[in-house]
Amino acid sequence: MSSVAGKPALLQFGAVLVDPQAAIADIAARPPSSARSFFGAAVWFGLCPPVFAYVGTRLFGWRLGVETLFLPPQTVLEIAAAYFALLLFGFLSTAFVARWMASTYGADGSLQRCIALVTLVGAPLTIGSVVHLYPNAFVNVIVLVPTLIWSMYLLYRGLPAVLKTDPGRGMLMASSLIAYLLVSWVTLLGITAVLWSRGIGPQVAT
Amino acid sequence: MSARVLHYEDRIVTAFTACSILWAILGMTAGVYAAAELVWPELNLGLPWLTFGRLRTGHTNLVLFGFGVSALIGTSFYSVQRTSHARLFAPRLAWFVFYAWQATIVLGAWSLLAGWNGGKEYAELEWPFDIAIAVAWVAYGVVFFGTIARRTVGPIYISNWFYGSLIIVIAMLHIVNNLELPATLGKSYSLFAGAQDAIVQWWYGHNAVGFLLTGGFLGMLYYFLPKQSEQPIWSYRLSIVAFWAFVYSYIWAGPHHLHYSAIPEWVQSLGVVMSLILLAPSWATMINGVMTVSKAWQKLRTDPALKFIVLSLAFYGLATFEGPMLAIRSVNVMSHFTEWTIGHVHSGALGWNALITFGTFYYLVPKLAGRPLYSVALANLHFWLALAGTMLYIISMWAAGLSQSLLWLSLDDLGEVRYSFVDVMRAMAPYYLLRLVGGLLFLGGTVLMAENLRRTFAGARTVAVAPPVLAAARHAVTQSAERSL
Repeated sequence: MSSVAGKPALLQFGAVLVDPQAAIADIAARPPSSARSFFGAAVWFGLCPPVFAYVGTRLFGWRLGVETLFLPPQTVLEIAAAYFALLLFGFLSTAFVARWMASTYGADGSLQRCIALVTLVGAPLTIGSVVHLYPNAFVNVIVLVPTLIWSMYLLYRGLPAVLKTDPGRGMLMASSLIAYLLVSWVTLLGITAVLWSRGIGPQVAT
Repeated sequence: MSARVLHYEDRIVTAFTACSILWAILGMTAGVYAAAELVWPELNLGLPWLTFGRLRTGHTNLVLFGFGVSALIGTSFYSVQRTSHARLFAPRLAWFVFYAWQATIVLGAWSLLAGWNGGKEYAELEWPFDIAIAVAWVAYGVVFFGTIARRTVGPIYISNWFYGSLIIVIAMLHIVNNLELPATLGKSYSLFAGAQDAIVQWWYGHNAVGFLLTGGFLGMLYYFLPKQSEQPIWSYRLSIVAFWAFVYSYIWAGPHHLHYSAIPEWVQSLGVVMSLILLAPSWATMINGVMTVSKAWQKLRTDPALKFIVLSLAFYGLATFEGPMLAIRSVNVMSHFTEWTIGHVHSGALGWNALITFGTFYYLVPKLAGRPLYSVALANLHFWLALAGTMLYIISMWAAGLSQSLLWLSLDDLGEVRYSFVDVMRAMAPYYLLRLVGGLLFLGGTVLMAENLRRTFAGARTVAVAPPVLAAARHAVTQSAERSL
């Protein structure tokens, strides 16, 4: 707790990852303002995965299992930009969904706390996204699955404290948020499939 | 009148529950072994009985009809008595259903491994078993509806509507789809041919998913969720509206399994539209469940069963959203025949069907035994194993399915497919290994549950419970006798 006495824990990347319990307590006690969480942490967390993906794809190409696939630089840039936009959309929509759900679960639905919670939960994914530097699909799955579990742990542990609700109700709300995220993820897969099947997407070329 | 007559017939519920758990372990073991064969094909040991084609069919039949249907029949017998305030109608017929069903599963699984196969997915059992299933199923319907007919309360509770639709629709689907000409004891040929056969098969196949894996288990949800959470359904009216919308729209959705095939395009389009409409009743039920359980949050700390139900609702929401989405033709062109479909099926089968059944068993077995659960800690460990196993399974299949799809659709400069089937299969091996780990975790959790529930019930006899009306009448008779003395 001492390490996060000055600057808010949420704005100290290491604090969230090294001592999540203390960081959760700090965020619950003095959540940063919405703008500070968003521009001070969330945007930077969200920027890492597309940057890693861009660098990895340009340098090493993607490997789906058979051979390495390289994409034109302009295409890689567009995909990275779309990835960043989607992450920001996912971040903000999750915060607003949490705010919408809060009254059902007796939680504090202020935007400030909801944004702080989603930023906290997203931190491990930023670390995990380092694996995008080596764009092998299977290796990415292997690394991102435990990262997702880490994020889920932070969601279940952090939600009751940050949104100030009972742990039992917090568990229910966290499960509802996971359902929202799973459905969003599947929607993204579906939209991607529709675009690809209509010929909108990167040309797979070696 | 003997006291025994006044009691609910619950021993049969215990019997179905025990068999369901046994089939779950055997069926999941078959699935895990089949998954391992996709990584190490030599595991079939050169034996025809252990080849993937036979083992996979054994797996699906054991988990669907052994684990799933035994759980559905057992829980429907438990709940229909309590919601009707009446003892089970024709208990001997009910026991006939039990023995006939279990015998069909044992011999049916043996026949599938021996290579008997009707060639229709989820309806592979050959004609002698088709007849046995039809007889047992009709007997099940007689017992169930007979109990409702002798109910001593006016309304028919919503869970019974869902269980009832399961019985009626599955009877209709099973009989029509299995109209066939026997050639030998172990071989028959469908009365339908070509595209018509395909339409009938997927009318059956998709509605088996609809009325068995969805409708039947919603019957389970609507009885056991309020009991476990000690809360009434959030909106009873919504449950009724969702029921009729569900029954009306599901039956049309089957053709989405046959996109880009020889069936008429308008039939495919109808399947897409009805699949999309299905989202409304499916999610209405999910919201009803979530809102019901949201009032029972105090119980979550102490009741492991409720955790399973909460999680099953989340996966129900996911699977019933993903299903209509995969029915859209331009999504289906990528997902069909890939592992994405397998992942979708298991997000429903593991995340929804199995988890709600586990939650129900954790509630039911202590009630039947009349003592608390042997170990809450083991049940909690099971919860996390089941969650981790399901997530690993579906994530690996999502990644595998997308990769598979991209590789299959990739063309070279001459317009030929760039990668051979073997190339793509080889690329899938790591995902199959990950899926195997997920399956092992899930199976491990199921074994823990079996042991936990075995210890809970060990040495006990099924508790005798009297229907409230009969109990009240007996109490009145006793009071009257005491007064006369």
